[in-house]
Amino acid sequence: MTRFFCWVFSLLALLAFGGLLAVFLWQSLPVWQAEGVGYVTKNRWFFRQQEFGAAAMIYGSAMVALVALLVAAPLGLGTAVLMSEYLPNRLRWGMKVLVELLAGVPSVVYGLLGILLLREWVYDSFEAFDLLSGDTLLTAGLLLAVMVLPTVVTLGDDALRAVPSTQRRAARGLGLTRAEVVGSVALPQAARGMGAALLLGFGRALGETVAVFLVVGRQDNQLPERWWSMQPLLESGQTLTSKLGGAETSIAYADDLHWGAMMGLGVLLLVLTGVVTLLGTIFRSRRNANA
Amino acid sequence: MTKNFLHLMLMMGLAVGAAAQAETLKINGSTTVNLPAAEAAEALRKEQGLDIQIDTQGGSSGGISMLGEGLVQIGMASKPVKDEDKAKFPKCDFKSIHVGEDAVAMIVSADVWEGGVKSITKEQAAGIYEGRITNWKELGGADRRIAFFNKEPGRGTWEVFTHWVYGDSKKAPQVNFPEVGGNEEARSKVGGTRGAVSQLSSTWVDNEKIFALGIKTEAGEVVEPTAEAISSKRYPLSRPLYLLTNGEPAGTAKTFVDFMLGERGQALVKKHGYLMLSELK
Repeated sequence: MTRFFCWVFSLLALLAFGGLLAVFLWQSLPVWQAEGVGYVTKNRWFFRQQEFGAAAMIYGSAMVALVALLVAAPLGLGTAVLMSEYLPNRLRWGMKVLVELLAGVPSVVYGLLGILLLREWVYDSFEAFDLLSGDTLLTAGLLLAVMVLPTVVTLGDDALRAVPSTQRRAARGLGLTRAEVVGSVALPQAARGMGAALLLGFGRALGETVAVFLVVGRQDNQLPERWWSMQPLLESGQTLTSKLGGAETSIAYADDLHWGAMMGLGVLLLVLTGVVTLLGTIFRSRRNANA
Repeated sequence: MTKNFLHLMLMMGLAVGAAAQAETLKINGSTTVNLPAAEAAEALRKEQGLDIQIDTQGGSSGGISMLGEGLVQIGMASKPVKDEDKAKFPKCDFKSIHVGEDAVAMIVSADVWEGGVKSITKEQAAGIYEGRITNWKELGGADRRIAFFNKEPGRGTWEVFTHWVYGDSKKAPQVNFPEVGGNEEARSKVGGTRGAVSQLSSTWVDNEKIFALGIKTEAGEVVEPTAEAISSKRYPLSRPLYLLTNGEPAGTAKTFVDFMLGERGQALVKKHGYLMLSELK
């Protein structure tokens, strides 16, 4: 009976996601017909001339999520190790509650904090780079880093806790120090789960809208000329979500091709977050496989 | 249907099937018109117990399209409804009710103003917009890059600006600048950024953090956005403020429109720095 319900609800969830994707695909058909593959490879989005190329937005989304991950990974996983391996139980629960609280803050609040504090900070700190304003991909990435921390910490902590404590005790019995136990027993076994934590954090960063919208600058068609410098990160940009959250959606509504292009962004976003989340889940489910 | 539904979801973030009360008066549109309109709504709530929801989703365009869709009873717009808008929503009989007049200023941050840039010509504005002029030196100011914040498409402010520079918004080239939405955002971003310039309703100028550039005519005369210059049409960047209804306003919508046209509503228009109908010749 339970098994039957499990199946039914899993199928329902799958159908819901499939249905969602199908609707968006169907709505975005005009743009695929007009632009073809160019829709994802071209860096020209000029809606008044009916040109739709979303490359810069895909780049922007990937970039802010990457920055978020680069900052959140050491912080988040470090916190997870501290919580699971070093803190006494009581303190650990206290930490957990704090992290949960962090997760409960609405994203618009993060966005406003970003405007108030982070914009100014980035603008002043990187003055040497002659920034045009404090709205940059870096600002958005740093803000997202704070927002995905709870995901990374919680899942990383879970992955470490899943390593049986008997193994830790055995290792201690062999004369290993605490740090050695963490490094050679706990971490290797929890590696998959921690990877999953990072991937799911990445997925969250990709999908976050309001906070990014407020600090990314919303500048179209910004692909970097030089890939290896800090400069592109210090310029305004546009992500898939900030574009969808903007005023253009209202304008697009009256024009099938333009509307299709906006819906296409939805498709890209769904596919990207879907793939990343799926990878993370697969990673997690195999976490105790002894590779 | 699907499109309608998705649009609703995107615009309002509404849950499916959230039942709206029939007697709620819904108003949406321009942030410029919203200033006096929101106060009027507050007064009507208090005094007559009317249930009014007022919002600024998508600016003037949002007001026009949501009225056209029948999602609101009153749209607010700081630009005239065009024929193509009417063609998009054939079911809607757009009625524009003129409630006041506003001027769009070219605003700059304090450092630009203090650097000696006090006025701008149409050619210079076009140069900045097209990316040919990128440093304030070229306008007689300090050596600093120009950080131009463009009003996002669909905003009345943007239409007034491009209409002034290019004669028609459709002739404006497509550009890539960081975009700002509502007036509050333009104000805070220009105020907090060195070398910044944007288009903004002159009401919002505080002469502390943001300053309005005078417009230099071809004859070399500098016109400031003063009430006198706006009403006599000497100041080129002015625009009408409208309430939009589908057909003649009736019921609570009529109550609201009459309030805005009446003495107290007009006083609110003036309070927010716009020109009342009586001041327009």
